[in-house]
Amino acid sequence: MKLLPLHYATRNIGRSRLRLVLTAGGSALVVFLVVTASASVRALDQGIRASGTVGNVMLIGAGSEESVERSEISAATPIFLAASIRGIKSAAGAFFVSPELHVPLPLRRADQAAPADNARDLVLVRGMEPSAFMVHPQARLAIGRLPEPGKSEALVGRSLAERLQISNGDLADSSKAPAILLDKVAFHVTGIIDAPGVSIDGEAWVPIGDLLVLTKRQTISVAVASLDGAEVSDVEIFAARRSDLELAALDEPAYYASLAKFFRPVQILIGVSALIVALGAMLGGLNALDAAFAARSREIAMLQVLGFSRTAVVITLVQESLITVATGAIPSILLAILLLDGLGVRYSMGVFSLSVDAACIASGFSAWLILGLIGSLPPTIRCLRTDIPSALKSDLG
Amino acid sequence: MHNPDTIIACHNLEKHYERGGEIVHVLESIDLSLARGGFVALMGPSGSGKTTLLNLFAGIDRPTAGSLMVDGQDLTHLSRSQLAQWRAVSIGYVFQLYHLVPVLTAYENVELPLFLHDMSRSERHLRVSEALDAVGITDRHAHYPRQLSGGQEQRVAIARAIVTRPAILLADEPTGDLDRTAAASIMELLGRLHSEKGQTIVMVTHDPATATHAQRLVQLDKGRLVESSMVRS
Repeated sequence: MKLLPLHYATRNIGRSRLRLVLTAGGSALVVFLVVTASASVRALDQGIRASGTVGNVMLIGAGSEESVERSEISAATPIFLAASIRGIKSAAGAFFVSPELHVPLPLRRADQAAPADNARDLVLVRGMEPSAFMVHPQARLAIGRLPEPGKSEALVGRSLAERLQISNGDLADSSKAPAILLDKVAFHVTGIIDAPGVSIDGEAWVPIGDLLVLTKRQTISVAVASLDGAEVSDVEIFAARRSDLELAALDEPAYYASLAKFFRPVQILIGVSALIVALGAMLGGLNALDAAFAARSREIAMLQVLGFSRTAVVITLVQESLITVATGAIPSILLAILLLDGLGVRYSMGVFSLSVDAACIASGFSAWLILGLIGSLPPTIRCLRTDIPSALKSDLG
Repeated sequence: MHNPDTIIACHNLEKHYERGGEIVHVLESIDLSLARGGFVALMGPSGSGKTTLLNLFAGIDRPTAGSLMVDGQDLTHLSRSQLAQWRAVSIGYVFQLYHLVPVLTAYENVELPLFLHDMSRSERHLRVSEALDAVGITDRHAHYPRQLSGGQEQRVAIARAIVTRPAILLADEPTGDLDRTAAASIMELLGRLHSEKGQTIVMVTHDPATATHAQRLVQLDKGRLVESSMVRS
């Protein structure tokens, strides 16, 4: 089969600048939306899953319905755990057991005014001891020092620091370190934690004793232990034997995987919202493309009179549609990489970091292909159905 | 038996359309034989069926009944894609409204049908140059249709129709959209293509003055062949 030259398709793209701008704009919007939705869904899922460390076990309250934030366990649990289980990781005589208190609290910079509308900017605050860094290897103290108990000091994750406009430079002079208000109580920031891609990046960490005082609690949320030889089942047996402590043992990666499932409706909502907006934009683009091709029905008939087969004409229309859509889609994908990659997005548990990876880019290219192919569908059908003499006489052009 | 001197032969050719539940008889019982190398004008009032007959000769429309041989090919038995392939080789078609592609230059418009043939770039260039030269528009080869006059556009359209060296040049009211001077110039060009290159031309026109350039007149009325006469040898 003999095809039309490619320059026929490429030249036709610029035939009407207004239509080109509308079609390119519509396709750019659709593709950007699809890449954004894809990146959000994937980052939310991966961010939650990456928060769990293989080999870690969590002890939470038996009646907490597997929610760390609802969990309440005895503050002595980590000591019992370390003493009862053989095979917990240790270094220099210190066990990798981290007592933690997880509380969502309103948080803002002390030197900034409270929101006028009483909006509560909740951040997950984690009461911790230095052992938290041992059981959460994703977290690294990037700058500063650990907070000292009883001195109202705190660490903030990098994403939270950026939101609070706290930079590394602000921590160079400890006497001028910025303060944050946790539920109206001032804490000086002593360091920034880097934990890219996991929820810790959006958290504030304070000494667990200080947070217990602040929240007027006597119980902690969770004890996290890194196992080295012991099995999760050993910890489960411990939890079962110590029925007085009312504990449940959970494999940490499994816990975060189930948490990711909890957010599945949110992911579906993101996907459906993107799909609805994309469909709207797609219909607009379709209309522009259809009008562009319909106005050329005589020319399409002329090409068939010259001897080009209907298949050759259809291939040219598809080429043209794909190239037209690509004028918006490809810059849109590049823009998405530039603007979205590494962008922190807040959600109830903290922050997840968007990553425009190969799968997201592939979804953008798929959207481009679908748009291009669907865009050429109506004129293709018209081309296949209209007989040449009628098309030559058509009023459309 | 096919006569090599006959380029178009039709017998009992009919074309009916159904419109609003009624059968419209556009062509009825057309018996016609046209010689190779001839210049024929199809004449008749509006709605007489002359363009439909031209479209049947071009293989872009199908007869309802009858036989139709064009350049030794029975068109009634060819599929749509076979007709397209046949047209690419045998037919050059000139439209009343030129139908040039606005985003292509005169050169590129003329080159377009050559992409249907196995030709190198240099062969295409040679053919296009010859065609543009034959219609006297070489100096306008880089111009876009919007930069050309109506007469010049029709010359480019004629160049596009002859560039493949077709057996038959079919022209549907080729001067219908031109002023008198440009029309005369186009008819002079068609006459020259016929007399100098021996090009077979079948032209639809309703203008008696235009028809005088042809050798033979075929008169249609209400879908029937009413007269066929030689104007000049």
